[in-house]
Amino acid sequence: MTDVAHAHHSAPASPTGWHRLTAPGWLRVLWVTPIGFGIGVGLPLLLRWAAGWHPLWDGTVLVTVELVTTPLFFLVGLGGFDYWAHYASGRPTRPEDHSGHGAHSWRDYFRINTDHKVIGVQYVVTTIVFFMIGGLLAMLFRAELAQPGDQFFNPQTFNVLVSNHAALMIFLFIIPAFAGLGNYVIPLMLGAADMAFPRLNALSFWLLPMAGLILIAGMVTPGGGPSAGWTCYAPLCSHQPLGQVFFNMGVQWAGASSIMTALNFLVTIITMRAPGMTFWRMPLLVWANFTTSLLVVIATPFIAGSQFFVMFDRVMHTNFFEHDGGGYVLGYQHIFWFYSHPAVYIMMLPGFGIISEVISVMSRKPVFGYRLMALSLMAILVLGFSVWAHHMFVAGMAGWLRVPMMVTSMVIAVPTGIKIFSWLATMWNGRIHMTTPMLFALGFLSMFVIGGLSGIYLASVPIDIHASDTYFIVAHIHYVLFGGSVFTIFAGIYYWFPKMTGRMYDERLGKLHFWLTFTGFNLTFFPMHYIGLQGMPRRVADYAGRFADINLFISIASFGLGASTLVFLYNMVHSWKHGEVAEGNPWRALTLEWQVSSPPPIFNFDEIPQVIGNPYEYGVPGARHAIFGAPHPEPVGAD
Amino acid sequence: MRRGSVLQLVGLGAVAAAITTAVAVLIPWLPESASKESTRIHFVYWFTTVIAIVVFAAVVAVLAYSVIHFRARPDDDSDGPPTHGHTTLEIVWTAIPAVLVTAISIVSAVVLAQNGRAGSDPLVVKVTAQQFAWEFTYPNGKTYGSLTLPKGRHVKLDITAKDVIHSFWVPEFSQKQDAVPGQHNTLVVTPTHLGTFPVICTELCGLGHALMRSHTDVVTPAKFADFMKNGESAGPPGLAVFQQNGCSSCHTFKPANATGKIGPDLDELKASAAKANRGPLDKFIEESIVDPSAYVAPGFSDGVMPHIYKQQISADQLQQLVQYLSQGAK
Repeated sequence: MTDVAHAHHSAPASPTGWHRLTAPGWLRVLWVTPIGFGIGVGLPLLLRWAAGWHPLWDGTVLVTVELVTTPLFFLVGLGGFDYWAHYASGRPTRPEDHSGHGAHSWRDYFRINTDHKVIGVQYVVTTIVFFMIGGLLAMLFRAELAQPGDQFFNPQTFNVLVSNHAALMIFLFIIPAFAGLGNYVIPLMLGAADMAFPRLNALSFWLLPMAGLILIAGMVTPGGGPSAGWTCYAPLCSHQPLGQVFFNMGVQWAGASSIMTALNFLVTIITMRAPGMTFWRMPLLVWANFTTSLLVVIATPFIAGSQFFVMFDRVMHTNFFEHDGGGYVLGYQHIFWFYSHPAVYIMMLPGFGIISEVISVMSRKPVFGYRLMALSLMAILVLGFSVWAHHMFVAGMAGWLRVPMMVTSMVIAVPTGIKIFSWLATMWNGRIHMTTPMLFALGFLSMFVIGGLSGIYLASVPIDIHASDTYFIVAHIHYVLFGGSVFTIFAGIYYWFPKMTGRMYDERLGKLHFWLTFTGFNLTFFPMHYIGLQGMPRRVADYAGRFADINLFISIASFGLGASTLVFLYNMVHSWKHGEVAEGNPWRALTLEWQVSSPPPIFNFDEIPQVIGNPYEYGVPGARHAIFGAPHPEPVGAD
Repeated sequence: MRRGSVLQLVGLGAVAAAITTAVAVLIPWLPESASKESTRIHFVYWFTTVIAIVVFAAVVAVLAYSVIHFRARPDDDSDGPPTHGHTTLEIVWTAIPAVLVTAISIVSAVVLAQNGRAGSDPLVVKVTAQQFAWEFTYPNGKTYGSLTLPKGRHVKLDITAKDVIHSFWVPEFSQKQDAVPGQHNTLVVTPTHLGTFPVICTELCGLGHALMRSHTDVVTPAKFADFMKNGESAGPPGLAVFQQNGCSSCHTFKPANATGKIGPDLDELKASAAKANRGPLDKFIEESIVDPSAYVAPGFSDGVMPHIYKQQISADQLQQLVQYLSQGAK
């Protein structure tokens, strides 16, 4: 079995001569992408000429069509659609030789690669690049905010910086970073050789750099970048400079990537579990990604809809959200938040999964109340769809909707509380090892409690009426998304770094990174609660003089917070090259990804594991999660 | 659990609660309350804060205790006891938060209902928001660029917008409401303190958002009656037009105390007009207001100044505004 699996993934014969231009890859990108660009220019011109519309040359229309055709043809050039194109056109599909699978050199990370481990690394590295860019934008506008009045940027540029900081952090860092970690770990945890749809997986990764480049290109578009905030409220958003179109379309590519990955996760988790891996034996990270993927599949089409409608209003002069044309202005917010509130859980549940893994392993104890932990994830999934209008308490929506939405928003604190208390109980009486992932897990736990509690304030309609759209909101979302999501991403990256790279990170630098980040984070965001309640609105380049000192303090702290990331970068880059070689299971964990070498073999498992027990049986004498080389693997479901 | 460890846990919780309470009480988190509604909202805030302090202190105490007492030595390879759960405990920590959030919900719903009541005879003021100015219209038909309210009377604000979404907020009133094109939203305020408070736009509405500010004067009922009778805004008629249309959000103009920096400096109007060379000063000013794209001053972009003033400003008002600007210009 082992020999067969390895025999036919020997390095493929490289194409020669003219075939190098037609084979999938960067050479083909070089000539196919311009064709896509040409079609993007030619098609609208041709149609407008045929229909006799003037002016022939309409910048907005051209840009909108370009942002569909150019990325699409880039993906065609890279080879994202080759296999399906062969199949759809009736030609014989190429037999799978696994030549596109796995990484033998760094070049293999820059092509369509079907190995979930390569894709996982591609995701994590790409998202960290966008994290850096997003953080840099934040430091630029914090420099502007260090003093009242206009210093470095005019209001247009300031609004662009604020809008793109949020858009990059949400759509190109937090959501896809979790998708990347999940990509790497989930098949390994399930005992599977790969994801259910490896080619779809490769395609969904390559949509992401496209989306990021579109958002960044929007910032430098002549006429001005997207400046209506990441929430892009209509009708303001429909009347912004040309760069806004880049935002509307960039979000579509990121959303499509997200939906494809979620479908892939769902099918993988449902169909690819190793023998004996029942749902109640799955690690909580898998449970978390299962619920998250359901959220993504149901909710993400709504943000696609909201951005399409705004684009239609702008480009085709429809009136979805234009009051003068009979549109419903608040309709935008209902559609937008029907995605964007569940998106908060899309950005949090995978982090919950990571924390469950880290706390259990580092405390050497089973996860406390495992089944209730899984069920509370499902409860958050269901409740998450019934709270969107708490973003609209002051928007002027139907008055009766406020109290029911307040109650559901409050109730969602109950399953979240169950998770917090269960993690604490997991640590209780444990043998706690304060490694870097554990530090970030504990940092998450304490900061997320603060973010959760300020969430209770905001769920209460009267308090929200005072605090909405102020810096209190800015403080709250950063305690949830930075103190929450970003800390869990760091915990996950440190925890699986040995598995992904085969080397250990530097523990001292890891701890230094944690303490600098933790301190910088609190100094930056905690004072924002105060200035918000006192009367400073969000998204302003200029503010009342009495907030000058505290804003200067926040700006200085934010530069420290930004600088702390350099420690992380150095640690990652240096340890990846020169770190101590990691063994297969440095944390003595029981889940399946740690039962293979670091990094794992190209098809993950030389033998299919037989799952025989729960994943967190620390302290149970003789307990095993899985065994290898079982003579007669039992079918799934045998308990 | 031994008694010693229970005591220690409670001690840690007490310390955490004491520090959190100090942070909550010693820092003046909320602005002074200047309306009945605000006082009620402050009550909900403090009610929630007490619960938040208890929950936070409990979590921090358990976390700190665990890190102190259950920390393993680096060479300790042993595992903890295999505790898988505890049904009673799990029911307790599901039930207690449920009770707490129910309590907050009830208090919030009651306050929300009270804060929506405007009584039988409220003063109704129409609030119209536009990029980037506020307009307040009183029952007698007069319109002002700032809000004047009598102390102690229910005021019902009827809020709408002309262009994009804005949001009306006075921090000292704690009441906020979005102004949405095509919708009339209401907000009830009952001022309890005399004084001048800022009116702030809190919904991103474009380039002048940060400067979309006005103020509200809370005066005695006698003064308010006087204001309703003779409340012509002081100064030349052109100044009122200037203020109502939000010119000061974007332009600097000393006679009107305007300090906006998005558009050209109107103190330099004469020099600009000479540079533009588009006829006499009056004509140039008028053209720039009704058709901002006709000439764009160097260093500024076209399309920033709204093209709405041709419809919005009546012919009489336009003459007043042009006269006011040309006289004030150096």
